Amino acid sequence: MNIFKSLQEKPWLPVALELQTKLPTTLQNREESVSTALQFFLAVITVIFFLFTITFLQRTQSFDFQALSGEPWLPFTNADILWQNSTYLLLASISIILANKFAQQQNLYGVIISLTATALFTLLFISGQVHVWQQLNQSGFYIATNPANSYYFLLTGVHALHIVGGVLVFMRCIWLFAVSLSYQQLASRLKLCAIYWHYLFFIWLFLFFLLTRDADTFKTIALICGF
Amino acid sequence: MTEIDNVAIADQIDQSSHPSSFLTKYIWSQDHKVIAIQYSITAIAVGLIALVLSGLMRLQLGFPNEFSFIDPASYLQFVTMHGMIMVIYLLTALLLGGFGNYLIPLMVGARDMVFPYLNMLSYWTYLLAVLVLLASFFVSGGPTGAGWTLYPPQAILSGTPGEHAGILLMLTSLAIFIVAFTMGGLNYVTTILQARTKGMTLMRMPLTIWGIFVATILGLLAFPALLVSAIMMIFDKVVGTSFFMPAILSLGETLDHSGGSPILFQHLFWFFGHPEVYIVALPAFGMVSDIIAIHARKNIFGYRMMVWAIIAIGGLSFVVWAHHMYVSGMNPYFGFFFATTTLIIAIPTALKVYNWLLTLWRGNIHLTVPMLFAIGFIFTFTHGGLTGLMLGNVIIDLPLSDTFFVVAHFHMVMGVSPIMVLFAAIYHWFPLLTGRFLNNKLGKFHFWGTFLGTYAIYLPMHYLGFLGVPRRYYAMGNTEFIPESAQTLNVGITVSAIIVGLVQLVFIANVIWSTFKGKKSGRNPWQATSLEWQTAEFPPGHGNWGKQLPQVYRWAYDYSVPKVKDDFIPQNFSPEEVEYLSSEKRNNQGEK
Repeated sequence: MNIFKSLQEKPWLPVALELQTKLPTTLQNREESVSTALQFFLAVITVIFFLFTITFLQRTQSFDFQALSGEPWLPFTNADILWQNSTYLLLASISIILANKFAQQQNLYGVIISLTATALFTLLFISGQVHVWQQLNQSGFYIATNPANSYYFLLTGVHALHIVGGVLVFMRCIWLFAVSLSYQQLASRLKLCAIYWHYLFFIWLFLFFLLTRDADTFKTIALICGF
Repeated sequence: MTEIDNVAIADQIDQSSHPSSFLTKYIWSQDHKVIAIQYSITAIAVGLIALVLSGLMRLQLGFPNEFSFIDPASYLQFVTMHGMIMVIYLLTALLLGGFGNYLIPLMVGARDMVFPYLNMLSYWTYLLAVLVLLASFFVSGGPTGAGWTLYPPQAILSGTPGEHAGILLMLTSLAIFIVAFTMGGLNYVTTILQARTKGMTLMRMPLTIWGIFVATILGLLAFPALLVSAIMMIFDKVVGTSFFMPAILSLGETLDHSGGSPILFQHLFWFFGHPEVYIVALPAFGMVSDIIAIHARKNIFGYRMMVWAIIAIGGLSFVVWAHHMYVSGMNPYFGFFFATTTLIIAIPTALKVYNWLLTLWRGNIHLTVPMLFAIGFIFTFTHGGLTGLMLGNVIIDLPLSDTFFVVAHFHMVMGVSPIMVLFAAIYHWFPLLTGRFLNNKLGKFHFWGTFLGTYAIYLPMHYLGFLGVPRRYYAMGNTEFIPESAQTLNVGITVSAIIVGLVQLVFIANVIWSTFKGKKSGRNPWQATSLEWQTAEFPPGHGNWGKQLPQVYRWAYDYSVPKVKDDFIPQNFSPEEVEYLSSEKRNNQGEK
């Protein structure tokens, strides 16, 4: 990688005159710097979910942990509703790519329709998640009754916060487009929003997989991880 | 190349964006320099509160039962708030929010941070975190007294001071602080990676920037662990979950918790807590390197090694956390692993100490106040580092754990040492902020008072530790194995602590007086090479660089270059601008 090469530079050596006329530069445009910041931000989010996951896997091995699937009476033995929510988030993720494409083509109707679809599917996902929480509560799976429930509420809650953060940026982007942004600027911002949404989707898939396993699978995972 | 090409994300000069009103210039400012000063003043103010708290603790330890307003609960609250404020709200905020904000754009040749608005938001969120924390002094039950490590289950159980509102405000404040830090941190790394001026390669950056850069990355990756543990503990307290809470009998009552793991919290806390040491230390390492090079008129010894050492220390800091937990009952093989990694981290750290000494060796040492503090730092840091090596070994740590030896160690290495660098940095960069020097005589008085005073405080604490005097105890009572002389030492420590505290008032008076009446410094008073001293206006104005960004032709350590007229060559001097001694002039054009 480039970084290793630059770390081997010997800055104390005099630079030949001919090289001094071609000074290296890092000046980039705004899009690239936002992209760098986004990468670091997603790294921070990754660490947060990674740490939650580690604590979760350890907790799955305690005596009072009751997995949320595996038996007919457990809520996620049949996880259709979660699959449905996943589909919403996937569609939101796809429609934001389309919005970016339409913005590049300067197609106003396309942009409006695809952005509306993004907003709609994201809202459907969030309301779907809230619905699952209500269902869990109605069937007696309260947040504090079992560590599996606690983690389900906690992790999906943090994920929801992550989405809300994205939605705020997304709304600001639309507002700026309505006021001043050009199509090109909109497209570059939507590209970053799309990365954020894809990331949300993958984190969700991971959480979905993690939280809805049965007790035996947790045992195997914990064995592999050394818990 | 046109000027516009040369000015990209660092914002082309836009006259309309220049703040005009008092509010936009000094309060809701997006200028990194103003935000840095806001961060610094807030951090120092809250740090003074923590200093007073430590004075109160010392009064109790030195003169037990003399002060009726200090009871066991309030003593624990002082301990907790002192620790947390000093580590997070003072040191982290001042080093990264204060110095990071001020120096990054100036030293890498940018007009401002890449995201000025986010930067402003970062400060105001930090202020909110401070206010939430301070609010806990005014709620019923007072602030939490759980110790700065906030270990559950005790932190949220009855019997601990501030078990209701206090602990919740502390955890909430930490979460808000982390949000603020993340906003700031994203700005710092992006600015360093993307907004360096032409010619400023990574390896031409001053070590200050390297230290801040790696420390910020550590912060971005380590603070999430604290966030995660704070959120989970809030859930345990408020919602009744059992993430960290085992089945427990508290004051005769069986609580509803079961199955949680308090050790898990310790792992999370120290996974943040150890990198935090280096979040504080690395910027200090960087700044002290620059100050030593400038005031010894010599290039830093082993620049490349210094950079690699900063990176190595940053990487290793993530695999040593459990050396804080040797007494938690861990698997002996774990203890072996973490002792080994801990000792390995001493290698790059020692390398840095040797390089500072070798920079001083045969240098043209100017014993200015910043230099005195920098040299003082080498003493205190070596001292604290060596006791760290002792505690890093499981077998030595076990008997010394939770004694005053540990208190002495971490105060030397991460209390006094970064503070010495902070003072060095404030004396060094004060002319850049104000165009005036801090008063030299008061500065020297401040240095000797602080340096000798802190030794008078912490050196005897090592002996108390060897005697087995436990930390965090309100009073020893009739503990047989502790001799009478321990109390005599405690009196001495308390008197020294009060003197050191008072000496800091001299410093504050010096800052206030010198800001308005100090001796004028003129441009670049230390004859430094780095870019922050080469701005168009002095002190630097909004946008930093006037019409054109500087171009960088060399590294930041061209001091005492042979055959050159002056003993320093600023980074933005092209080869044509360098003045050689007359006889060498023609031969050396181009520095071949």
